[in-house]
Amino acid sequence: MALGFSMILGVSRSLNLAHGDLVVLGGYVGYSLWAAAGLSPVLLLPVAALALAPAALVWDWLLKRTPEPKELSSLVLTFGLSLLLQTVMRAIWRGEYRLIAESSLGASLQLGTLALNRGRVLAAVAALAVVGLLWLALTRTRWGQAVRATSIDPQAAALVGINVDGARRSTFLLALGLSGATGVLFATLHYVHPAAGVELTLMAIVLSIWAGVGHLRSVLAAGLLLGMIEALTVTGWGPGWREPVVALMLLGSLLARSGGLARGHAH
Amino acid sequence: MRSGLAALLGMGVLAAVPPALGFHPYYLFLLSTAFLLAAVASAWNLLAYAGPISFGHAAFFGLGAYGAALASLGGLSPWGAIALGGLAGAAGAAGVGLLSIRLRGAYLALGTLACAELLRGLALIWSEVTGGGAGLAGIPALPVLPWLPRVLTEGRAGAYYLALALLGAALGLFALIRRSRVGLAFAALREEEERASLLGLRPLPWTLLAFALSGLVTALCGGLYAHVVRVVEPDLVFSRHYSILPLVMATFGGLHTLLGPAAAAIALYLLSELVLHPLLPALHQVGYALALIAVILYLPGGLAGLRRGGRRAHP
Repeated sequence: MALGFSMILGVSRSLNLAHGDLVVLGGYVGYSLWAAAGLSPVLLLPVAALALAPAALVWDWLLKRTPEPKELSSLVLTFGLSLLLQTVMRAIWRGEYRLIAESSLGASLQLGTLALNRGRVLAAVAALAVVGLLWLALTRTRWGQAVRATSIDPQAAALVGINVDGARRSTFLLALGLSGATGVLFATLHYVHPAAGVELTLMAIVLSIWAGVGHLRSVLAAGLLLGMIEALTVTGWGPGWREPVVALMLLGSLLARSGGLARGHAH
Repeated sequence: MRSGLAALLGMGVLAAVPPALGFHPYYLFLLSTAFLLAAVASAWNLLAYAGPISFGHAAFFGLGAYGAALASLGGLSPWGAIALGGLAGAAGAAGVGLLSIRLRGAYLALGTLACAELLRGLALIWSEVTGGGAGLAGIPALPVLPWLPRVLTEGRAGAYYLALALLGAALGLFALIRRSRVGLAFAALREEEERASLLGLRPLPWTLLAFALSGLVTALCGGLYAHVVRVVEPDLVFSRHYSILPLVMATFGGLHTLLGPAAAAIALYLLSELVLHPLLPALHQVGYALALIAVILYLPGGLAGLRRGGRRAHP
């Protein structure tokens, strides 16, 4: 049950209430390209990721300018951005439900005695690949060092000669690119519609609370756990229960980790 | 004092509008919705006066709407039903307020958002009581008051004056609180919670009171709305718009001021419906989002700066 997409979701965290809406936007962009040009979903991933690059620059610019108290202001600001995105998406795609229904993805993959849905396998593989690459990039490259240093202490990072603004900007580009790619994966598995973003945002917050900010491997575990709880809820009680359960999990996690999420930014 | 006079004057002018418009139903409906939103924005502002920033006022609005609709369909008179809905909203809001024991600031805001989403989801599922996604229809209309001229209480005009009265009551409540010891306690907790509690002020009861009062006013609006529109649906009354619009309007109009949120609510709503809607039918909500972003970015200090401005505005 869509474990893959929830894993990716956890990677690109910040107190960004428009996060889910960006994922949905990625899904719609992917859908339009698929419907218009018939691109294969694998090719759609990088295209949708690139399509969100302008949004990333806007987000970076806006969030850099939010005043103190940073967390509350960014929350309010992105709440507004979320409304903006939903309205625009509703205007362009008219609130219709869209699905990237590529026939090759519906086919099942025979693995010995296991029959797996190819779309889900693709999502899971892509999610694992992205998390792996991101982990390598963050721990093994100079860029990763810069990003991590900026996240821990921007002033100190600037003092030792790290381009803090650059690191910030590339983080936003990467995070929103991931959202776009996630959106495509999401759209191959579920119908996207403009209001779907809220639930995705709440799930992303739950995941980052569970995993702790910036711990990529715990994000994988948390993503698996959340995906399983979601799947059990849907099969046990029916799909209507998904949203309330996600909201309940958010409340519970917030209360349990009231001091958590110490900083606004992931990595 | 001056803002109180301005409010009374404004109310008098607004009360004279329906005859001037010839009781045109569409404009009356538009204006009464604007007043309801203004009252919700004032209620939101009342809570913000005590500190918490809410992302979940839709929860209280929806509780009021559903509470009133159910009571009314159960045979209670609409007035009693709206009052009952208001109490349901106050109780629900106090329940949400309990989150403040563990959560602060941005995390409390997220908690209120989660509560609103939770209630919306429950209203969708619990179809034996709430009618599920189809909602409840056939809510009785508000009765005509026998001792007033018919033209003032019938149909849209009746809703107009009731919404205006509710807005007046919300503003009156806020003005009263600001001048009383309760308001001092709210402001003290908002600005310096630690120092206030050292002085012997226990935060929780005051925060719960602020939540309950804010929830009461919001839920009364919800109940009135249910009886004007005569249908309630989860996606209608628990819509996130009732969480985000009060926040936008109150922030835009000036946090913690008496008239700012209500004035901004009426102005923004009418601008959005009368100007933006005909120009860009699909995009008219964009105005709210842009207004919010502009306020956060360009008012010095953003929310905190407005807070300081608000403190200067009253003794």
